[in-house]
Amino acid sequence: MASPGPLNILVVEDEVLLAAALAFLIEEAGCHEVGHAMSSDEALAMATELRPDLALVDVHLRDGPTGIDLARTIANDCGGVALFMTANAKRLPDDFAGACGVIGKPYSEHGVKMALRYLDVCLREGRAPGLPPAGLQLAPAWADRWGLGDLPRTA
Amino acid sequence: MQDDTQGRNETVLLVAAQDTPDTRTRDLANALEQKSALLHEVDHRVKNNLQLITSLLRLQARRSRDPAVQKALTGAQERINAVATVHRRLYRGEDVELFDVAAFVEDLVADVIGGSGRRDVRIRLSLEPVDLPAARAAPLALLINELLVNTLHHAFPGGRAGLIIVAVRREGAGFAVEIADNGVGSGTPAAAPGFGGTIVSLLCGQLGARCETTDAQPGVRTVIRFPASGLS
Repeated sequence: MASPGPLNILVVEDEVLLAAALAFLIEEAGCHEVGHAMSSDEALAMATELRPDLALVDVHLRDGPTGIDLARTIANDCGGVALFMTANAKRLPDDFAGACGVIGKPYSEHGVKMALRYLDVCLREGRAPGLPPAGLQLAPAWADRWGLGDLPRTA
Repeated sequence: MQDDTQGRNETVLLVAAQDTPDTRTRDLANALEQKSALLHEVDHRVKNNLQLITSLLRLQARRSRDPAVQKALTGAQERINAVATVHRRLYRGEDVELFDVAAFVEDLVADVIGGSGRRDVRIRLSLEPVDLPAARAAPLALLINELLVNTLHHAFPGGRAGLIIVAVRREGAGFAVEIADNGVGSGTPAAAPGFGGTIVSLLCGQLGARCETTDAQPGVRTVIRFPASGLS
């Protein structure tokens, strides 16, 4: 369950300019960035220490295509929730490695803000406030958990 | 002499052995796999670089204190976003050659109107399925973006509420895109002077399209017609 106050977000992204622009979007969406990691090791240490509500994870990190394993570890061992942000959405495993969904790159600012606000509600209330906004695709397991059942998982 | 002939025979045998149907199928499968991987890699790089460009424009716009500079950078960011919206849609399905115009318009309208924060402007979409060769998708995206942004900036000044209708329909072997509003009316035609107007007229020329703006009383209606000849 999410902490009270703004949603705490860990950014895992090896492109620093993307991460810098994303930081502003996170604040504008009413969330709070607790940290930024560029490699899977760094991300794992931060996820363990900072316990973010949500980790935004790119598939390709400084140490290679380690984002998928990282998301699985965050879900299984850290009790956290990961969300992929990648241009590689088609290559994700069917179970999304335990992550709650994916935002495809190139994303729009509006798309990211809508997705974060939507996930804020999902994580707080354990229920989706409706269908996900355009640009956000939910993992089947999380769509079920948030009460979307057999409904389409994209707008 | 004799050795030389023997050597040549061996070479011929070797080539023949390599060229069995099985190995040829395997080679073709490998080549195809390599080509798919390459296409995927290029697609991935294009998408990441588009993200990098919009991030850069965003960061620079934030840094500037000059409203004119901010406006110019935001305009550039919106245009790149229109192209990015195309790439988000491309290669998503199985067909890499065709582009779904209706689905794209839906995405772009959501971004442009949602991103503007104008909750007082409603949108009505009327979209027939139209496929366009992927190579023409980016200019079309930029064209529709200009018309939408222009309507949003000029039709509803001072927080005036209103409606924008965006339609895509087939016309003969071609198609038409229509953007109509019930705002303050002409005097601000869609193909307005300025950089936006230049983009509209240049891209219409490139796509062989005709752009017509009329006073709809109330508001303005712009129709861009794409004859089939401009679509191949």
